[in-house]
Amino acid sequence: MNRSGAWTITIVFGVIILIPSLLGFAMKFGELITLTKNVSDSGGFAITPVVNYLLASLGFFCLLMWAALNGMFRDLEQPKYNMLENERELDRNV
Amino acid sequence: MATLTIPKTQSVYTHEELVDEKIIKWYFAAALTFLTTSMLAGLLVSLQLIRHNPFAGIELFSPGRWRMVHTNAVAYGFLANGFLGCLHWAIPRLTLQPVLDRRLSWFIFAAWQAVVGATAAGILLGEAQGLEWGETPVWVDPVAQLGLMLVALNFGTPIARMKGPMYVTLWYFMAAFIWTPLTYAMGNFIPEYFVSGTSAGAVGGLFIHDLVGLFVTPLGWGLMYYFVPILIKKPIWSHGLSLVGFWGLAFFYPLQGIHHFLYTPIPMFLQYGAVVSTIAVELVVTTVIINFFGSIWGNWSIVRTNLPVRYFYTGMVFYFLTCLQCSFQVTLTFQKIIHFSDWVVGHAHMVMFGVFSMWIMGMMIYLFPRLLKREWASQSLLEWHFWLSTVGLAVMAGDLILLGLFQGWSWAALEPWDASTEFSVPFWAIRAIAGLAMFGGLIALITNIFKTLKAASANA
Ligand code: HEM
Ligand SMILES: [Fe+2]
Repeated sequence: MNRSGAWTITIVFGVIILIPSLLGFAMKFGELITLTKNVSDSGGFAITPVVNYLLASLGFFCLLMWAALNGMFRDLEQPKYNMLENERELDRNV
Repeated sequence: MATLTIPKTQSVYTHEELVDEKIIKWYFAAALTFLTTSMLAGLLVSLQLIRHNPFAGIELFSPGRWRMVHTNAVAYGFLANGFLGCLHWAIPRLTLQPVLDRRLSWFIFAAWQAVVGATAAGILLGEAQGLEWGETPVWVDPVAQLGLMLVALNFGTPIARMKGPMYVTLWYFMAAFIWTPLTYAMGNFIPEYFVSGTSAGAVGGLFIHDLVGLFVTPLGWGLMYYFVPILIKKPIWSHGLSLVGFWGLAFFYPLQGIHHFLYTPIPMFLQYGAVVSTIAVELVVTTVIINFFGSIWGNWSIVRTNLPVRYFYTGMVFYFLTCLQCSFQVTLTFQKIIHFSDWVVGHAHMVMFGVFSMWIMGMMIYLFPRLLKREWASQSLLEWHFWLSTVGLAVMAGDLILLGLFQGWSWAALEPWDASTEFSVPFWAIRAIAGLAMFGGLIALITNIFKTLKAASANA
């Protein structure tokens, strides 16, 4: 498998995963907003875990952005070769 | 892929300066001690279920308590110790940086054994905390919490000191070091001191879920991304795809805890949310599996010749099976039948033993000869260990999963409860026999270690 093949697979899977999950998420988020508007018990209850989740995800989102801006994903496949090369270096004298 | 320019990231440290081999041996010894304890506890409980408990009536041997010893010793005593041992090998070699402080490593080692030992003693003396998977007595919780934070500090430092793009393993490890202390704090302190009722139930569900997905899973997969390429001498098929798996876990996993509590008074709204994001995670899991099978494609004979690789890929097959099972389990239709049945117990053994224990065994089998500077004393004992474990687990899981369906259907048909415990006994007997086989596998491994040690010292 060459690089462009790996890329195609990555993008295809990215799309397969992201589209349904983003749609589902948007739908559920809409429901949450309507729920909390009718100030019922269950609306208030639901907002705690969801806000929790959004805060935690915000942290990860910042990390993702930081990593991207710092070139962590620039040469996407390089780390896997470096890793094996380091292993060979370390085991040279064994 | 012909012209590769690998920038030299030469280590200024040698392997000996990076890796504390002694502590790894001690972690593995502790892990195997607790696994032995846990399996004996499991066997005791399985004898109780077939009404042959040899210690009936003795409070200290109460099966209710030994069941908690079984699960706690396996999670915190075996899996955690096994992982910590492997991390002491993998992290310094991946980052080319030693851990923050070797004395801190030893302090953590001692503290962790004290935590697990005190947990077992506390549970046996009737001091368990009333939280699933958080049975650690309340007076042990703060120590365990501190220990987890020190682990994050000791291993987080080399990762933070590393320069350049990170390999996927380190992404997983870094996340696990952040998630595990947070998960532990959430599960052990919030329902105990801050919330109650359904809210506490929801937090408890998130805790047991996150313990599997944000502690065991990232460490397990992180280690596979490290050891598999080394052993098959080929890089992972696609590093990009592996990062999709990592970020997918980070974003989709935390919302699913409530899938353990479908049909409870938790608002249906949240239950549906958990179902949807669980299905999203199944897709992420598939990318990870595809990546590993893509890496070994065309090279399958290595599974026959290389035992650690065989353990790793057997674990991955079980991983795929458990996740496939999950995507059924998470639907309300299935929950109606299987909830509270032995299906769940079958599932739990398939994932905890079939996947993560298999991986730890594979890593131990690779690392022991390197740590002891000596080949394994007996190849046939190694093979016995593998086959007794694999066949024993497959029989146990298949038996319990099938039994779970029969129990669920019996309850759905409103048959009396006693009827279901009656027809379960033969299935439970098969589980006890399968458990004996798995235990036999462990004995084969331990015998082999002693033989190897003896040969090593004879040669020294
Ligand atoms: C000698 C082998 C083993 C035997 C005989 C055995 C037996 C048992 C029994 C009788 C239970 C209680 C089930 C119930 O409440 O009805 C149990 C629960 C459990 N065991 Fe084991 N076990 C063995 C090995 C293991 C290993 C090696 C692991 C993990 C690596 C493990 C993980 C678990 C888990 C996670 C549960 C809790 C299941 C739940 O709550 O749904 N077991 N086991
Ligand atoms: Fe879960």
